[in-house]
Amino acid sequence: MKPNGNSISRREFATRAALGAVAAATPNSLSSLRTVSNGLQLPDNAGKLSEQSRTEAESRYQAILAQYPDRFSVAQKADLRRLCFVLQPQLDALRAWPVANSDAPGLYLKPLVEREKKSNAAPNLKSAPQSAKPDEPAKPAAGEKR
Amino acid sequence: MITPDILYLSATELAKRIQSKSLSPVELTKAYLDRSEKLGPKFNAYARLTPDLALEQATAAEKEIGRGHYRGPLHGLPYAAKDLLATKSIPTTWGAKPYANQVFNYDATVIENLRRAGAVLLGKAAMIELAGGMNYRFASASLQGASKNPWNTSCWTCGSSSGSGVIVAAGLAAFAIGTETWGSIICPSAYCGVSGLRPTFGRVSRYGAMALAYSMDKIGPMARSAEDCAHIFAVIAGHDIKDQSTLALDKAAFTYSPSMELSAKPLRVGWLTNAWKQIDAHAERAIQSAERAVRKLFPGVRNAALPEGPFEAAAGVIMNVEGAAAFRDLIRSGKVAQLADPLGQINGYVNEQIEASDYVRALQVRGILQQKMELFFDGFDVLVAASQPLGANALDANLETDLVFPDPLGGIGNLCGLPALSVPCGFTDQNMPVGLQFVAKAGNDLAVIRAARAFQQHSDWHRKHPKIS
Repeated sequence: MKPNGNSISRREFATRAALGAVAAATPNSLSSLRTVSNGLQLPDNAGKLSEQSRTEAESRYQAILAQYPDRFSVAQKADLRRLCFVLQPQLDALRAWPVANSDAPGLYLKPLVEREKKSNAAPNLKSAPQSAKPDEPAKPAAGEKR
Repeated sequence: MITPDILYLSATELAKRIQSKSLSPVELTKAYLDRSEKLGPKFNAYARLTPDLALEQATAAEKEIGRGHYRGPLHGLPYAAKDLLATKSIPTTWGAKPYANQVFNYDATVIENLRRAGAVLLGKAAMIELAGGMNYRFASASLQGASKNPWNTSCWTCGSSSGSGVIVAAGLAAFAIGTETWGSIICPSAYCGVSGLRPTFGRVSRYGAMALAYSMDKIGPMARSAEDCAHIFAVIAGHDIKDQSTLALDKAAFTYSPSMELSAKPLRVGWLTNAWKQIDAHAERAIQSAERAVRKLFPGVRNAALPEGPFEAAAGVIMNVEGAAAFRDLIRSGKVAQLADPLGQINGYVNEQIEASDYVRALQVRGILQQKMELFFDGFDVLVAASQPLGANALDANLETDLVFPDPLGGIGNLCGLPALSVPCGFTDQNMPVGLQFVAKAGNDLAVIRAARAFQQHSDWHRKHPKIS
């Protein structure tokens, strides 16, 4: 089935469902939760995100509030919401990178130094077109070393 | 009488004097203890000193050496360990208030290995709380307060191995142990003007070390020369049955002697052109001068460019998810609010929300990148770039807003567990140290040691030390 203007992606569906679940699981209604967040300034990078990404970032923030309703000050809530939006471009960039079903996770239990070196690079890497690369994500604070 | 000049000697030089019995481990330990007691608080260098243990170990070392039993190049040498390494019956705070009274009843494997080599534990080095595991916005994110740079106390040391950097730079110990998940050895080494080795992931046991990111944490030496780092690394490297992430016996162990380099093939060196988007104007001259020195020192240096992709994002997601898992109880109990840093108090909640599928995607990206870097290193033994694109920042800088720049080499290097060694290579025009880092393929720690040592044989930046009154 071809997508049309009214269709939503599976991820967006899941996000919206999660947002609904958050609202249902808390004493406040979804609209009141939105009022709380609407009372906070929208994070700087929000305008650069797609609607889907904005929704996802907002749902992440709402999930935190739902899980820990009495834990944060107003200032911390504003900061949390900003951080939820700051995280989003990194996730978007990661998801946009072409990865095949056969690309196994690089687990720490088998560092590459102990593995057989593959004779060729991963096929999807060779064919990864430049255009497939996402917009540059928001960078982490490089001064903040860990 | 032990003068400050002696306290600033490299571990390698101190070891020669100890072996020849012209320097007493007890006298050396007392001198470092005196200096640490006097100057440590000025720089917020230590979480705590361990004078009784130090004198006991130094006395034992002196007796053994006197009897002709010399254990090797660390025997009788005083050192400090980052306060995330478990030390039996001595508090291990992880630099964080919620763990201020934490005491383990065993030693971390690294501590045990150093003890077996005859090294003397002077104290526990201050650090950023939880090694930055919950993120941080300010240098003051530590139970001990902000560590101050001995070259200029209004500047930071970088973190999270902040105390380890100060201790080596200020001549408070012969060497220190640091850890790195992303930048925590390389950056403090650069900011403080010392030599720091981030080993290949899996070569040094993390048993008894606080976990931040299970698949990215590394433990390594910070010292006054690359050769020092090699000797210390040889002691702490090795397979450990208590740490399942350590490599197999033959791949984890490291032996070192400068003579190993005599018959080695010339290094194929690449100068990285895209490690940093921009070098700060104050550091530019030092970096350009270092590049000229590298090109002169290693014939046939070629320009090299790191692959592009969401590698920093992948490293960030892995680190944040594993950090949220490692400190899940702290977050869920609300005790994370006891952390000193305002960002550290809340960011764990955000990291908890990252989806499992995004974490696995990040691991997949790591798998691809590991292969790509393996092929990349077919053409090079060592890559070289500035350790940081600037000198030490002001103590009160907001790290979230004032120091935001891409760090693809740090992202790739730590995502793939590549070894790196940072050495001093000059000063900014504000007289703050600037570092140069050498990076190699996983397992080839010797290459970064060889390259850094060659650089230091033709320069004396590593012999400079701050004037401390």
